Parts: sequence; C-alpha cells; structure tokens
Amino acid sequence: MGAKHRRLIGNLLAYGAVILIVALSVLPVLWTFLISIKPDEEVITATLTYLPKRPVWDNYVSIWTRSGFPQLILNSAITTAVTVAICTTAGTLAAYAVARTRFAGRQKILLLYLAVRMFPAVMIVIPLFITLRNVGLLDSRFGLALAYTSFLLPVFIWMMKGFFDAIPPELEEAARIDGASRLTAMVRVILPLVLGGLVATSVFVAIGAWNEYLFALMVTSSSGSRTWPVGLQLMVGEFQLPWGELAAGGMISIAPVVILFAIVQRALVRGLTAGAVKG
Amino acid sequence: MSDLSVRDLVVKYGDFLAVDNVSFTVEAGAFVSLLGPSGCGKTTTLRCIAGLETATTGHISIGTDRVVCPGHETPPERRGVNMVFQSYAVWPHMSVFDNVAYGLRTRNTPSAEIATRVTEVLRLVGLDGYGARYGTELSGGQQQRVAVARAVITEPRLLLFDEPLSNLDAGLRERMRFELLALQRRLGRTSVYVTHDQAEAMVMSDRIILMHQGRIVQEGSPRSLYERPANRFAAAFIGNANLLEATVTASHGDGRHTVTLPGGLTLEGHVATPGWVPSGAVLVCIRPENVEPAPDGIPATVTRVSYLGPVQTVELQAGAVTLRADLPSRHVVATGTALNIRIDASAVVLVPET
Amino acid sequence: MGLGTLSERRGWVWFLLVPSLLLIAAVVLYPTFWGMSLSFREMRLNRPDLGTGFVGFKHYVALWNDPVFWLSLRNTLVWVVGATMGEFLLGLTTALLVDRGLPGFRAASVLILLPWFLPNVVAGHIWALMLDPRLGVINDILVRIGVLDSYFAWFANPDTALGAAMVVEIWHGFPFFALLLLAGLKAVPLELYESAEIDGAGPFARFRHVILPQLQMIIVATVVLRVISLVNAPDIILILTGGGPGRASQVLSLYAFLKVSKEFNFGYGSALAMVLFVGLMGFSYLYVRLSNVLKE
Repeated sequence: MGAKHRRLIGNLLAYGAVILIVALSVLPVLWTFLISIKPDEEVITATLTYLPKRPVWDNYVSIWTRSGFPQLILNSAITTAVTVAICTTAGTLAAYAVARTRFAGRQKILLLYLAVRMFPAVMIVIPLFITLRNVGLLDSRFGLALAYTSFLLPVFIWMMKGFFDAIPPELEEAARIDGASRLTAMVRVILPLVLGGLVATSVFVAIGAWNEYLFALMVTSSSGSRTWPVGLQLMVGEFQLPWGELAAGGMISIAPVVILFAIVQRALVRGLTAGAVKG
Repeated sequence: MSDLSVRDLVVKYGDFLAVDNVSFTVEAGAFVSLLGPSGCGKTTTLRCIAGLETATTGHISIGTDRVVCPGHETPPERRGVNMVFQSYAVWPHMSVFDNVAYGLRTRNTPSAEIATRVTEVLRLVGLDGYGARYGTELSGGQQQRVAVARAVITEPRLLLFDEPLSNLDAGLRERMRFELLALQRRLGRTSVYVTHDQAEAMVMSDRIILMHQGRIVQEGSPRSLYERPANRFAAAFIGNANLLEATVTASHGDGRHTVTLPGGLTLEGHVATPGWVPSGAVLVCIRPENVEPAPDGIPATVTRVSYLGPVQTVELQAGAVTLRADLPSRHVVATGTALNIRIDASAVVLVPET
Repeated sequence: MGLGTLSERRGWVWFLLVPSLLLIAAVVLYPTFWGMSLSFREMRLNRPDLGTGFVGFKHYVALWNDPVFWLSLRNTLVWVVGATMGEFLLGLTTALLVDRGLPGFRAASVLILLPWFLPNVVAGHIWALMLDPRLGVINDILVRIGVLDSYFAWFANPDTALGAAMVVEIWHGFPFFALLLLAGLKAVPLELYESAEIDGAGPFARFRHVILPQLQMIIVATVVLRVISLVNAPDIILILTGGGPGRASQVLSLYAFLKVSKEFNFGYGSALAMVLFVGLMGFSYLYVRLSNVLKE
C-alpha cells in the first residue's frame, strides 16, 4: 500500500472521527430543540418519535407567558449588562496598565489577577452572601453583578491584556510624540485598535454572567432579582415543568449565547488561546 | 548654537547599564548619526531624547528647554520633537491623511490649514493622492513615507529617526537614504539618526557618534572615523580593515613611528589620535584598498581571490602576516601566484587596543 | 487639572489599577479572608442564639469525624480525576484530528465549542431529558441496538449517578481542552514535524517526542485550571442529582454549598471550603513542581 493510499485512508478516518465528535457536540442541543417544537402527545408516548410529525411553537408561547419567565430574562439581562459594564470599565483600564506600562509591582499585580481565579467559588460565596446582606445588596441584580465580578473581572483582565499586548508599542509612542497625552493616545489610538478584542472579551464575560447558576441561587431569592437559570430550575423542581416547555425555555435562554458567540467567534477564540500560543 | 545637548546620560535596567554616561551635542541644522551594533545603547539614547524612555540620571536640553534633569521629565508630546520609527508605526485604523494630520489636530490647527499642509507634505514625500488610503493598503516604502510626512508636518525642533530604513529592501533603502537626506537639507531640521548600518551613517551624516556597550567610542565626520579610528572596535566596525598586532620599534616624533609585525616585517605609520604616544604593543590598521601592487614591494603569495565586479578582494600571505587587499578588477590575479605589494606610510594607522 | 495632564504624572498607572484592585479586594480578598476566619467561628443564620463567637478548631474536628465529609472527599477525587481525564483525552483527540487541517475542519473546531458555552442548567437538562428513565432518547437507542434490555434510571441508581454526571461534565468541558490544545498544536513549528518525519519517526513516536514536549506547558496549565474549576463548582451535580441518590454523588463543594444554603451553617460550610482551598493550593503547587521536575 503506497503512502498516498495510506494518507487517503487516514484522512477518511479523520473525517469520520471529526464528524462523530461534531455530532456528539451538536446533536444533544438539536434533540432538545426538536423536543421544544413537539406537541405534548409526541413527547410522552410509548414509542419515541425522533422527528416531530407536527411541529408547533406552543411550548415557546406557554413558557413565555408562564408567570415570571420574561421577568427572569429581564433580570438576567440587567445583571449581565451591569457585570459587563463593571468589567469593561475597571478591566480595560487595568489590562491597559499591566500590558502597557512597566512599574514596580507589576509582576505582583499580574500574579494577583491570576491567583484570584483559583479561589473556590463556594469559599467566596459564603462570606460574600453575608457582606451583601450587610450592605443591603442581597437579592438585588446589582449585588449579583458585583458577585460575578469576583471571577469574571480577572478573566476579563487577562484576556484584554492579550489583546493589548498584540498592539505594537510604537503605535502609541508615535501618538505621544505627535502631541498626544498618555490619555489621548490610549483613547484615540489604542482603544480603537483593540475594539474587536474588547467586544469579544465583553461577550465572553456576558456569556459567563448570563449562564451563571450557583451565585445566583445563593444571592437571589425573589422574583425581582432572580435570574433565568435559577428560575428555570425552580420551575422544574416545583411545578414539574413539562418537557416541551423546559426545552423551549432552554432554547430561548441559549439563543443570545449562540448568536453572540457566532458573531465574535474569531476574535474570541484568538483571545482565549492567546496565552496558549505564547507557551 | 547647539540645538540638542545630552549630558552624562545614564540608563540602567536593574544591574544592566544600557547607556553609560553619554554626553554629546548636536548643532542646529546638523544631521548626526548614532551608530553602533545592536544593544550598544543608541536606540535607548534616542528614546530618552524623545521622552519615551526614562533616564536614570543625566540632563537633556532641546534648544533652551531642559527636558530631562534630575527630578524632571518633560512628557514626549511637549518636547517639540518628532520621530520616524523602525516599524513606521502608521496607525492602521486611520487614513494616510488622518495619520499625517494627527499632529496638527492635537495642536488645534484650523482644519483649512491642516488640509493645505497635509497635501503639501504628502507631495513633498511623494505620496500625492494617497490621502484616502489606509495604512494596511500601503507598501513598506509608502508606509515609510507616511511616517516621514507625519514627523515633519509639525515642524519639530528636532527630527529623530530610529533605524527607519532597516525594514526596506536593499535597492529602496539606498534610494531612500538620499531622499531622506535631501528632505532634511531642504527643511533644515536638526536630525538625530540611529542606525547599525555604517554605510548608511557614512552617506547621510554630517557627524557620526559611534557607540559600543553603552558608551561613546568616537565621534567625528565620516572621513575622520574611517581614516583615524579611535580603537580596535572603531576600526573594525567602520569599513573593512586589516588589523595587525605589532610592536613599536622606533619613534620619529610628530606621531610617526616604525612598527614591527610578526615575522619581522617593518612598516612606518602614524597614530590615529594626535597626541597619543604608543609604546610596546599597538594595533596597525590598514584599509584593504590601500594595499597596492608594486614590482619592488613586499613579496607575498595570493591565497584567495573573490571577484566582486568593480574590485576583487585578494587574500595575501606576506611571511607570517595575512592581508586583505582590494585590487582593481582589470588585473587578473590567480590563487597561488606571487605578488609584490606596497603600503603607503600615510595609510598605515596606529591604533590603541581600547 | 485635566485628565490629560494627570495622565503624565508618575502615579497614573495606579489610577488605572485602582478600580480593579478595589473591586477584587472587595469581592474576592475580603470575602476570602473573612471566610477563613468564619471557619473558626460559630455562625448559623437560623440559630442567632448561638452567636458568632470564636470556636477554634471545632468545625475542623467535627469535619474529621463526619463520615459525609470523607464520602464527599472520595467522590470529589473520583469526580475530578475521572472528568479531567475524560475531558483531556477527548479534547486531545479532537485537537489532534482537527489539526490535520482538512477542508471543513475549521468550522468543526468552532461547532465543537457549543457545549462549552452552554449554561450548566441547560447542559444538565439536555442530558436529563436524554437519559430519562421513561422517555430518554439514549435509553431508546441503547435498547434498540441491544445494549440494554429496558430503560435504565441512570441518575437514580447509586452505582451510575456519579458516572452519568461525569459523562455530562465531560461533554460540557472537553471543548476547553480541545480549543487550547489545538492552539498549542498550531504553534508547533512545522520544521519539527518535518525533521521527525525525515528521521523516520512513526506517528506514535512523533506524538511522544515532538508533540507532547511542545504541548507540556499548555497541558499543565489547562489541567490546573480545569481541576480548580471542577473542584470548585458543584453546579452540574447539583442540577443533575442534587448529590443523590442518598449521597452517592455528593462532592465536597456541593456539601459545603448545601450546608450553607439549606442548613445555614456558615461556620461549618466555611471550614469545608477552607479544606478545598488548601487542597487546591497544595495540588497546584505540587503539580506544577512535578511537571517541571519531569521536564528536566
């Protein structure tokens, strides 16, 4: 058997394996989507039907009109927006500082941003619960967003640092020498150049906040602040949510994630793997 | 009047001395090069002048302004200097016009004036009609011109160049040398030019400051650096040189001495630095073009010939001494043949080791 | 004084850093230190009569004598080792395959990221639906192809609950490894493959002597990060089994979380979290040290 044949067979096997892995990744989500458009009698049957015979949107209508679901989505959206606002403000400044300036203590600060990613969520959530209660932010969307910065801000800073690092320092120096103050050079020259990275990083943080379950479960308790993962889980537990509606709720909730990811995936993958490529 | 004065400049990174007590001045309108191998401190010195690097100690004045002195650093945008970077640093998110206009905008120049001046400067650097293009749509040479236009439009007191030609290919590089110099002459701006390319420095500079390991080794006109190197490093770095270790055997006053080379060959030469009195071991510096064929000269054997077109580089063995000679190509010389040579006393330069 | 002028001052960098440092101090450092001190205190929100006094090592002693703690510790080890290995192997396989760079593989490398970006709650329910004992599609397929005689209650059986949860976690987490290992593979200089090929190295030898050494740093870093997040986050188990049946799938982080959220025993919960914290620190340190030793 020649090398050419061996290569061909190798490639065919690789295609087979990759298709299998992609199927493994995507099919469960597709299956859930199929459940969400099946009427009840097709879900609860003696013999499983794979493709819906009569696709309907009833489940989407009934989960959306079920008490509180739009409110859950709204709470999640607000919490996510506040988290992203905090992270982009504080995080962009910090990432710029550690990427662009050399100062005594820079290494220690970098290490701090890295080390806080190691702190157990359960360890933080306990005292954070009490702290938020003491300052009156427990069971509030702002308090939850603050809690999210505990693990999302360090991630944001590290990712943004990678994007800042990728911009040649001369571009900023040229602006300085051309009459711009440090602030002007940062705003007029560097920020426009990292804009793609900034959007991707913000999306990553937004997805993290949107998806989060544990902190939300601990910190929120009323419908005024409860986010959708907690709410959906509650519906499953307390109201024995029908499958179709659960699946529809899941689909609605992941739609923004999938759409945002699809838009920024190139820059996002670059940001997530920047550290890996450097070694 | 000097336009730039650097005094006792020191830049330390931890224990590493990047710039070690450097002092020099540049007179108004002059074109001065900082020349040296990579890591010699030339770029760091330039960046200190620009304000992009912080001096550990030292003083820098531009015109009558003290921009660096103990406890004070004027930020780069207030030094009235501009710079052309090695990587050009053309902003990719702005058009050529906006790149060039940026400096005027930060100075709140009226937009009508900006338009006139940008057009004028773009014409000056040969980028007529490129104003709407973006940095990413330009070739290396064109980006280079944008960088130059951006640097000169603000009419800086001091133009700084950080190896601006080293990313260009050989042909364009040579053309740009003359273009840059012509531009500088036309605008009359005092310029400091950093390069590791000695030919570039020789062609362009009024004066060269040669640096090595953070210190100034020698400064002077291109001719004086080539003809009277201050030490082994200067002789070896600028141009080609036969550097031979020899012993002073007789002194004739007026800086003229007789030296003996290994193998007993004796030559007469003069010291490079007036006032220096060598004794014992010295270096003899002989430029290859000063080794000439002469029927009654020193007998030697040709050991290698490299044909370069206008000249041929010939390696000769004269007793214990190996010499390189650049001979006109019209005489065919063959390896293994005998050749008598002479070296004019005026071309034998005695140089200290350090 | 304008901001522009302020930006020329020496202290400018600290102006940039202060917001993030304050936030981290407030939401990470302060709670962590307080959590440490809480583990030496009494604190039960439902028993204010007990006060919040200092009780020394009481919680740690109780923990030592708590059979649930030891069971949870054992489950944590099984959970973390199993899930990390599974995610790593599947991720590495995916990365090696996709790195062949055949047409369409770039799209595939994006599609496989889907599970990773799904919320725990949705990922959990997708699999809960598929593994359902009455109507689950996986049970249906397994029965059709003859692996199972009848539908099986994966999450309700103490022998399979943790394993089934692990399958879900592996599905959810393997894209993380695939993504980063693929980036690492792309960074391996082509000449290394070529010179190995010229030396006559077979695929296995190439993997062992060229690819693995190049990936080592990434492997160490990704494994540390993944272990940390697996130890810390009980979400998926909480959603799938709640730690049950009985305590068959209870892990330490979940135990700590339940102690706090169900029993409001903040002191004991903090002691459990401290054990996790110290354990993770020790693991990360040893693991990084050992991998460096192996390199030399």
